[in-house]
Amino acid sequence: MPAFSGQLVVFGFASFFALAFAVLMVVQRTPVRSVLSLVVTFFGLSVLAVLLAAPFIAALQIFVYAGAILVLFLFVIMLLNLKEEAADEDDRPVQRTLGLLVALALGGLLAGATLRAPAPPRGTPSLSSIPSPDEIPALGRLLFSDYLLAFEALSLLLLVAAVGALLLSKRKFE
Amino acid sequence: MSPTLAAALEGAAKIAFVWACVLGAVLPNLIWVERRMAGLIQDRPGPNRVGPFGLFQAVADILKLLMKEDVVPMYADRLLHTVAPLILLVPAMTTFAVIPFGSTIHLFGRDISLVVADVNIGILYVFALTSVGIYGLVLAGWASNNKFALLGGLRSSAQVISYELAMGIAAISVFLAAGSLRLQRVVEYQASGTFLGFLPLWNCFPQAIGCLIFIVSAFAETNRVPFDLPEAEAELVAGYHTEYSAFRFGMFFMAEYLNLIAASAMMATLYFGGWSLPYLHLTGIFGSLASIAVFAAKTGFFIFLFVWVRWTLPRFRFDQLMNLGWKVFLPLSLLNLLWTGALVLWGVI
Repeated sequence: MPAFSGQLVVFGFASFFALAFAVLMVVQRTPVRSVLSLVVTFFGLSVLAVLLAAPFIAALQIFVYAGAILVLFLFVIMLLNLKEEAADEDDRPVQRTLGLLVALALGGLLAGATLRAPAPPRGTPSLSSIPSPDEIPALGRLLFSDYLLAFEALSLLLLVAAVGALLLSKRKFE
Repeated sequence: MSPTLAAALEGAAKIAFVWACVLGAVLPNLIWVERRMAGLIQDRPGPNRVGPFGLFQAVADILKLLMKEDVVPMYADRLLHTVAPLILLVPAMTTFAVIPFGSTIHLFGRDISLVVADVNIGILYVFALTSVGIYGLVLAGWASNNKFALLGGLRSSAQVISYELAMGIAAISVFLAAGSLRLQRVVEYQASGTFLGFLPLWNCFPQAIGCLIFIVSAFAETNRVPFDLPEAEAELVAGYHTEYSAFRFGMFFMAEYLNLIAASAMMATLYFGGWSLPYLHLTGIFGSLASIAVFAAKTGFFIFLFVWVRWTLPRFRFDQLMNLGWKVFLPLSLLNLLWTGALVLWGVI
């Protein structure tokens, strides 16, 4: 593996931004800025997907997460006009401890999985040397054959969630 | 010359060409065309003082914006207020990377495909960038700390998200027919045969509903009349850019026009055969140059349509806009998808 390559630099920048803004999202006290930090994190992750020669995943990451879901977050925060985070978090010591424990457990799990993962193949394949068959038809074929049941179950789940949300919000207004 | 260097040079040349055309030729002339057309439609001369026929009006407009005072409101969020126009402008400028502006040209012993980056995610890239642009509008509204700006920003995000859905489903039908998300492939598919034996295989014929939905949604996505509710001046002063002045206002202005140009180019590419001419297959270097001209002419027509509609139609109400998007366009675009699927299944297209 060469010590210095263009890909390594891009990887470094993308992961740095993803991590730094993930931290910022938690630390930030203004909810709007928290959401924006998360957007930058998603951008970093999508750059990593491009480096893995998966531009489709990268585009979906931006289109669905950054473009749709987080805009809705922003929308809600603005409608509720949340300027500052409520400063009553010290009143909830149990939640804080529990949250810390869960975070540590999850972090440990992820670190363990990363360490146990098989080593990547030696040498750095450059983007152009990876044979890039059109990933989209392959993905579509998989979704509609091997994973059809899971795919349909997932769409049903989303539909139920949407109907449920509608029902809950309707009841509140009446 | 090494192949990597040649490829890099080729890419740089294409980027330079596209930006020179868009920023240097189309954008300033568009400002002039819009103002002169307004004059024509409203039965008055329009700007005719700067240069012959007022052709240098755009230069005067831009210089004026550059020299005005740049005001940031006292209680604004300074950082986000500064960044917001950039968030809008950068995606608007990078959309053009995936739009094929011509066929393949043979130059210096290389076959050069006339598109900056013919990536396999094609239109998904465009949609992803459009959705990033929403942040610019929303943040401009929020960071200004002004109720009119905030309402304008909220309206624009609601509007863009609603219409992106119908537009996306309409676009899916196009890729169902072409069998690829790659835009160069979409154009080649449309140039490849005929529909019903005599019409060109442009997607606007078999998918007339999808085409209509895409065009109308594009008006909503670019915040143009009759869907310019985010900046409805009678109720919201100037919407999300109420608190912007000087060149930062100019950036909003520029982004709006760039989005308009990109939307026109997308319409020509997805539904009207892109750079291809019906029934004719021009080859050689002149064929390639002609394909660029054909693409420019088609895009130009849709830009003209945008301007024409702006000065002809009144504005919708916000509830009408939302009803149209969710209750009419969304089901219609799903029907269009079903119809296109049936056509593909029966081998008609």
